[in-house]
Amino acid sequence: MTTSASAWPTRPQIRVRTYGITLALVAFTVFAARKVGFSPSTFWEVWSNPLWEKFWPIPWEWVLDGDNVIKPLIETFQIAVLSTIVGCSLALPISFAMSPLTTPNQPTYLVSRAVMNVVRAVPDLFWAKLLVTAIGIGAFAGTWALSVFSLAIMVKLFSETIDNADSGPLEAARAAGGRHTPVVRTGVFPGVFPAYVSYALYVFELNIRASVVLGLVGAGGIGRVLEAQRQFFKFDRILGILVLIFVVVWVVDHVSVALRKRLV
Amino acid sequence: MAVATSTDITPERPLPPRGTHRRRWGIALVLSLAALWSVSGLNISFNRLVTAPGEAWTVLQQMVPPAFGKVYERGAVGKIFESVYIAWIGTLIGAILSLPLAFLAANNVSPRWIRAPIRQFFNAVRAVPELILAVIFIPITGLGPWAGALAIGVHSIGTLGKWATESIESIDSGPIEAVQATGGQWVNSMRWAVIPQVMSTITSYWLFRFEINVRASAVLGMIGAGGVGSELVSHLIFRDFPAASAVLILTVVVVLTIDTVSAKVRRRIIVGSVSDMDSSRSSEALADLTGLRR
Amino acid sequence: MIRLQNVSVTYPGGVEALRGVDLSVGEGEFVVIVGLSGAGKSTLLRVLNGLVPATSGSVIVDGTEVVGASAATLRRVRSRIGMIFQTFNLVHRTTVVNNVLMGRLSRVSPWRSTLGLWPAGDREAAMVALERVGIVEKAYVRASDLSGGQQQRVGIARALAQEPSLMLADEPVASLDPVTSRQVMGDLRRINEELGITTVVNLHFLDLAREYAQRLIGLRDGVLIYDGDIAKVDDDTFQEIYGRAITADDLLAVGEEPASPNGD
Repeated sequence: MTTSASAWPTRPQIRVRTYGITLALVAFTVFAARKVGFSPSTFWEVWSNPLWEKFWPIPWEWVLDGDNVIKPLIETFQIAVLSTIVGCSLALPISFAMSPLTTPNQPTYLVSRAVMNVVRAVPDLFWAKLLVTAIGIGAFAGTWALSVFSLAIMVKLFSETIDNADSGPLEAARAAGGRHTPVVRTGVFPGVFPAYVSYALYVFELNIRASVVLGLVGAGGIGRVLEAQRQFFKFDRILGILVLIFVVVWVVDHVSVALRKRLV
Repeated sequence: MAVATSTDITPERPLPPRGTHRRRWGIALVLSLAALWSVSGLNISFNRLVTAPGEAWTVLQQMVPPAFGKVYERGAVGKIFESVYIAWIGTLIGAILSLPLAFLAANNVSPRWIRAPIRQFFNAVRAVPELILAVIFIPITGLGPWAGALAIGVHSIGTLGKWATESIESIDSGPIEAVQATGGQWVNSMRWAVIPQVMSTITSYWLFRFEINVRASAVLGMIGAGGVGSELVSHLIFRDFPAASAVLILTVVVVLTIDTVSAKVRRRIIVGSVSDMDSSRSSEALADLTGLRR
Repeated sequence: MIRLQNVSVTYPGGVEALRGVDLSVGEGEFVVIVGLSGAGKSTLLRVLNGLVPATSGSVIVDGTEVVGASAATLRRVRSRIGMIFQTFNLVHRTTVVNNVLMGRLSRVSPWRSTLGLWPAGDREAAMVALERVGIVEKAYVRASDLSGGQQQRVGIARALAQEPSLMLADEPVASLDPVTSRQVMGDLRRINEELGITTVVNLHFLDLAREYAQRLIGLRDGVLIYDGDIAKVDDDTFQEIYGRAITADDLLAVGEEPASPNGD
């Protein structure tokens, strides 16, 4: 038994609004591309550029020399360690203050959220450049800059975990008549602690990579060496350093994955 | 198990397990030692530690009031928009190039010998910070926004590729089977079984990456790859702090606006997709990553 | 011990959970509250220790007015009230004894409890509480490794560790099987008789209510519609409270039962 075609539902029309939005996006893209100087020829020019010769061969003697590269790398490591510790420690109370579940009172909640939003909106290297200008070049400023950076990331990740934490033990601790900090410490903290450690290890990894870049604005570590070499167009040395950094990051990555598995 | 009453023999109390406290103190010790080693290695004298906040405060005082007028005249607003364009084009390049690669890198779609090199490529490209990529590109393309867009684009291929691959791998394999059962080819599977499940999450990732890339492009300006970074650097070099703070504030405002709008759009995309299909794990992952709850 | 006068609770969304409830409970009584889901049982319990603020009326517990009380007063009142929950509300990742110690939060300085440095006297009290519920041998076991019934026992121990004068139990056996449910209810009755602690229990299962209650209170749509000795309660009473016929879902189960106090 067939039904006549007029009984079928009509095919939904694509809304005018969807067309409009798509058109606007395409127009914006074209506009932006022109402003940016989009030039597809680069995609194949890149390969034939004689500059690539300058990247090879890697002067391993120079790269593996203690003073040139190894010492700054150790410095980078130390910056990463310190800034992770400082940033993640500060992130702990701030994250609790930022979550509706565990905040002590309304003003603390609003202020901490507002402050963190602004801090995260500032590009990380802007912080670095600011601090370098204010307190001088070198690893000291770099550590402070990365601490801010660590704080921002840690707070973002960790406050999310707190928001989703089980509120049951929290209720029980309140019902037992505890004050605010002990209630949070006994009711919520044990549950979110593994996540905290996991994020801290992740932040440490990020910091090692980031301190590379930090050096480019004069904030110490291996980045300073990179910047110096860049100014002299020593691309072969730069490549060597990058390879070394890649190895270090790879090792740290695997160690931290192993550590994280042991904790969870 | 019977409940103990006063007439029962009370069972012996267990002893606390050894070692928990020792382990905790051990970890605290390791961390403190690491911190001390770092502090000494970096030559952070107590003196500097004390004077630094004071120096920072001085600078802060000089940053108020921000010199909006002067900065506007220099065209800082245009530069900020340039950073946005750079981020937009860079993200698009990353998105478009990463999508087909992500399909080829997914373990439920592609054989091992294609997957492995592509995944390594993603990892390699992700590991290089945009700044370094820009350093590499500038000699080739010259200074200016195109180097920045390329740097962001190439780096984004790595991140977006990895996230997209994870999305694709977490889908329900039922529809793929269904397409195969009708005699369809690999491409048909992709088009009808995989893409519909995965596109909304991936689009959401693109927007999230765009938000991050706006900040990255601002930073790239600092080495001459276009955008507002160069403005900030020049003001700071001349210690013109009111101008620097004006540039900073403008940047923050633009970044926050883009963040807010993008978050709203992302929420709509995710919510729309969840109502159409069974929630796949990738939506959960994205929600975890970006903090959006349905 | 407890005195409610014309207590009403309206939740922010507009839901009226309690309307004009008047209730008095004397010291040492064992009271069971029954009612359909949404009748207001949980709200009534939580109004007693201020976890839910009453919109109007007066709630006097152990001589202190709870409505509008300051945070410090609320904490003091709560320290005398032990509460056990349907979902146990234990901290899964930590040991049983650490969970029970949460009951001592009101007696230990915030510094000590935050750092986990519980005084010996409080540790002793926790162990005694565990002995009372018969699971002291599990003291250092991770809470999530216990069965449902054992976890609820830990919840009871936590409440006992507070040395309370009032015990509130919010559907304590709803997630437990019949045998374990009877054990837990038996524990609550025994604690009430041996230690003289006033006890108020919300129950979903009517046969359980009949077996263990001394006094029965019925709520329907936020209104208290029955209050009387358990001896006078029969099936018609329950139907009156529920406003409908009793179904199998309202009964726990037919099964082996240790002798219940009411000799059913």
